[in-house]
Amino acid sequence: MKEMSKKQMADAASRHRNGDGNPLGANSEIARKLKQYYDELVSDQVPDRFAQLLSQLEQAEPAQKKD
Amino acid sequence: MAAVSQSFKTELLGAIPSLRAFAVSLTQNADRADDLVQETLVKAWDKHESFQPGTNLKAWLFTILRNEFYSQMRKRGREVQDSDGIMTARLAVHPAQHGQLDLKDFRGALEQLPEDQREAIILIGASGFSYEEAAEICGCAVGTIKSRVSRARARLQEILKISGEDEFGPDAISAQVTGSNAA
Repeated sequence: MKEMSKKQMADAASRHRNGDGNPLGANSEIARKLKQYYDELVSDQVPDRFAQLLSQLEQAEPAQKKD
Repeated sequence: MAAVSQSFKTELLGAIPSLRAFAVSLTQNADRADDLVQETLVKAWDKHESFQPGTNLKAWLFTILRNEFYSQMRKRGREVQDSDGIMTARLAVHPAQHGQLDLKDFRGALEQLPEDQREAIILIGASGFSYEEAAEICGCAVGTIKSRVSRARARLQEILKISGEDEFGPDAISAQVTGSNAA
């Protein structure tokens, strides 16, 4: 039981230290690689097809009007 | 049906890079990912009225994308991977020097994770969602997300043969209690 409360305190302290923003630990190798992996994907250039798709949806809209 | 507002459209456009990144993380396939994003955008457009302005649009879109992904998987007759049933035998990546982990190796390791663990660690560790938001996106309890993230992390460490990352491992807490740098 005593163990438990210590654990909770340490947990809270660690959460405070990390601002709860980096559940994987800001300086861990895995956290950094994960970020690198993902950021690379996010920065990939978006193909035109998506902007075209939204324009098509927009144009199709009045015709779809219900009620 | 109310017209889709210009700001909704602008926000959709802005969310595309994140959606694509999440889709690639889920599918591990660029073409399938873009199809998934396309499907997500169409769905989001159709049901834009169910989005509550002022809430997190990105989380809403991620939820749609994720649902679409799992529904496609079911249609393909593929069983959704259960993390408990995954064999560890095929995990074989050559050991990485600490701090010199290759991104390619990391990608390979990520690919070996069961979907539920992969999506959890991506949502929390990369997409910037809170545990609560991730739980909402995945339709499960916060505790489930936490345990998936922790298993994903442990699995990645195992595959990549990373050790000494105690600061966040299961031992992190006890290390802080007993450890030397308890500041």
